Amino acid sequence: MIAVQALVKEFPKKDGTTFRAVDEVSFEAAHGEIVCLLGVNGAGKTTTMRILSTVFKPQSGKASIEGFDVLTQGDQVRRNLGFLSGDTGLYARLTPREFIHYFGRLYGVQDNAIKRRIEEMSALLDMREFLDKKMEFLSTGMKQKVSIVRSIIHDPPVMIFDEPTAGLDILTARNIIAFIRDCKQRGKCVLFSTHIMREAERLADRVIMIHQGRILTQGSLPSLREESGLTDLDDIFVYYVNQASADAKVEAHEF
Amino acid sequence: MSFKKALIVYRKELLELLRDRRTLFATVVLPVIMYPLLFMGFSAIMSRQAGVLEKRGATVAWVDSLSIRNADSGSFSKSIQDNLAKLEYFTVVPAPKALKQLYAEEEIQAIVTLSDSLSKQGLATYKLQVQYDASGERERMIYGKIEKALLATEKAEINRRLVTLKVNPELIKPMVIVPRDTSTAEKKMGSFLGMFLPYIMILTLVAGAATIAADLVAGEKERRTLETLLVSSASRSEIVWGKYLTIFTMAMVNVTINLVSLSFSLRFLMSQSGLETQGLQLPISAFLILLLAMVPLASLFAALLLSISTFSRNMKEARTYEQPIMMVSMLLGMISFVPSIEINNLLALVPVVNISLLFKAVMINEYALSHLLLTIGTTLVLDAIAIWATVKLFNTESVLFRSEDDSNVKISRANKRSFFNPFYGLVYFAIAVLALFYLGGKWQAANLVRGLQMTELALILLPVLIVLRLLKLKPKETLRLKLPRLQEVALVPFIAVSAAVLVTLAAQLINAVFPFPPEYMESMSKIFQQDVSLGMMFLVIAILPGICEEVLFRGFLIRFFGDKARNAVIISALLFAIFHLDPFRFLPVFLLGLLLGYLTVRSGSIINSMLSHAINNGLALLVVTYASQPWLKPLLQDAENFKLWVGLLALPVLATSLWMFHKVTAPKELN
Repeated sequence: MIAVQALVKEFPKKDGTTFRAVDEVSFEAAHGEIVCLLGVNGAGKTTTMRILSTVFKPQSGKASIEGFDVLTQGDQVRRNLGFLSGDTGLYARLTPREFIHYFGRLYGVQDNAIKRRIEEMSALLDMREFLDKKMEFLSTGMKQKVSIVRSIIHDPPVMIFDEPTAGLDILTARNIIAFIRDCKQRGKCVLFSTHIMREAERLADRVIMIHQGRILTQGSLPSLREESGLTDLDDIFVYYVNQASADAKVEAHEF
Repeated sequence: MSFKKALIVYRKELLELLRDRRTLFATVVLPVIMYPLLFMGFSAIMSRQAGVLEKRGATVAWVDSLSIRNADSGSFSKSIQDNLAKLEYFTVVPAPKALKQLYAEEEIQAIVTLSDSLSKQGLATYKLQVQYDASGERERMIYGKIEKALLATEKAEINRRLVTLKVNPELIKPMVIVPRDTSTAEKKMGSFLGMFLPYIMILTLVAGAATIAADLVAGEKERRTLETLLVSSASRSEIVWGKYLTIFTMAMVNVTINLVSLSFSLRFLMSQSGLETQGLQLPISAFLILLLAMVPLASLFAALLLSISTFSRNMKEARTYEQPIMMVSMLLGMISFVPSIEINNLLALVPVVNISLLFKAVMINEYALSHLLLTIGTTLVLDAIAIWATVKLFNTESVLFRSEDDSNVKISRANKRSFFNPFYGLVYFAIAVLALFYLGGKWQAANLVRGLQMTELALILLPVLIVLRLLKLKPKETLRLKLPRLQEVALVPFIAVSAAVLVTLAAQLINAVFPFPPEYMESMSKIFQQDVSLGMMFLVIAILPGICEEVLFRGFLIRFFGDKARNAVIISALLFAIFHLDPFRFLPVFLLGLLLGYLTVRSGSIINSMLSHAINNGLALLVVTYASQPWLKPLLQDAENFKLWVGLLALPVLATSLWMFHKVTAPKELN
């Protein structure tokens, strides 16, 4: 499971001040659940996920994957985590088989297990014919399949998808969405981010709306609909953004 | 950190590199074919050129303008003509009418004129004038052949005369010179290779490693594969080690192939060109030692270049940042071309220079084990530091993810609009240096004291004031023209004097390693030997530079280089050192610049550094002027240098006074 508590991440700016990309973010995600981080570009989704995957270190707050602290137990965190984003590149001069073996070994998976898994997944994702072609010759869809296998080669209990469908065509995107559903079926804990409301609507058990580094609201879709009195997720999102800025104005007046 | 994972990264990187045709070509194929092509092509062209020139032959005009003719002179004239005509591909023609024109049109390449003359003792002698154009390669060759033919004629004539006098011609050969070269073929070859081999090796090492290094991290950033690697369960240090080993391996492979290819093609070339190949073996043991010495250097470059790649946002940026490293190592490596410099214990401590000189010494088999060990040791120490720094950089997310922070880009763009940005700073500096070089140099050559006054006032101070005026900037604020507090300014003399003593000692150390040429020392002391009053000297050497140069560097230029005080101080000190247009004083002046920059920025008052600068320069004048006085002499070891113990004394003084300065100028807490 994923547990995030009062997470803060600031980046230094050239003028000496800091920019708060993630501001006191707290949430949890359990096994067998798909949780969606929903927000416009620059809301802090990617930064949050990078903290969870130990790429960034937070200034304050806590975050853990399967109970392992991202700050102090990075190795265990990464071992329990699969990470996939829409715009990751691949090593052009390697074949998918070599590429997956490379990451499997880095995760400490035995070679036999890697082989088995490649067989299994390539049958499932229909990738046998290009397993030994250099990746520079693969299409976007093929590449994304390779990335999928790479992300679960160590069979992690937690999966994080950062804008997994960004820049992909409809057919490839469908593959990814099917894969995310599949992860849930297998009882994994899934966190994914998107700025596309429809995607959140179709996939998520729970939605966390995030704006300017802060969480606006979180809950299941029905509960959000009920609370806002609106049906369309677009409208609901705008409703919460407006509410937050109204709150901010009131605060300013009081001050 | 497990080495196993580093090895997984390493193996994958090697696999990928070996599949890259460009890398493969540059690392393996190019060195294998480059040297044979280079040498053979070059030697073929050379010998061909020489052959072609010879075959073109020459047309030589013969002018006989003897005034006295007899049997002797007639036969002499004839024998010269015969000897000239015997030269291969030579045509000797009697001077035609249009001789001048034909010579001008180069139809005739040389004119040999025979006339009679008198020697100093009044004896009759022949005079042979050979007219030719010495600027032409072909003509020089023709002259050489003519000279030989003439000397042969002279010899025959001498013999003839001696025989006529019934003297044995052997009588005029009291001695013969027989050179006996004791150098072995290896040594000859070694000294020849020792000149340019180190340079080539260092160059290929850096160039090869730079391409690969740029690809390994900056390339991964560019292709968006780095994040995937970072979220895998390999730790950052494991990734760094894997990548570092890759660069190191490829660099060593490159160096080895280069060495082998070079030695083979050289051997081939030497046997081809008919140089004595009997018993000539290339010093294989020397190559092995060199390979060993290259190991730490390859490792150092691998780490350095990897850290640059880590810092860079993309490959293009990495290649740009690699340029200075390549330039510096090329320049340092070139030291092997300097004939008189040999490796010693001090030079063995200078990276790259030590390898280059060691190379040279090993090639002629005249090296000491201590030099080899010192060289390897020094490089290893630097190497360890570089690796440590790279791991640290790789763990610094603001460095590894520099491309991510869009807000930074926007702000730096906004900065560009203001006048004080690094680009304008460098442009201003470049103009100032040019003015100093052309105008200042001219003025100082005409009259040193007046020239120095004019330089300081008109070239250094005045333009700054004009620019500030034009931009409507307040000089007081911009230049930090603020009165310092008493407790600060009281410390400045201690700082300045102790720093000056230490800087002179540093200069002496440099002198020990790279001896200043005597002409340089002369030109330096000339400044102090002007025929003007001490007061005037003090003004020119201490006061004016103290004010004017401080205004330019610590007041004005320091403003251009960023918001981070440390960077601004370092860059302005660098510019200050360059401004003195003097490689021998570069380091001392740079250190002084650092100190002056610190004094100004820390205290917010330029008066501190002005005072310090003036004291520093004034002290040098004082020492030179009163060197022989009994109160100063015990402190000095010669006319201008302090004794070592004075330096040892100065060190705690500087440390203490700087520490106090730092405390006194600490920003006040707001409470």
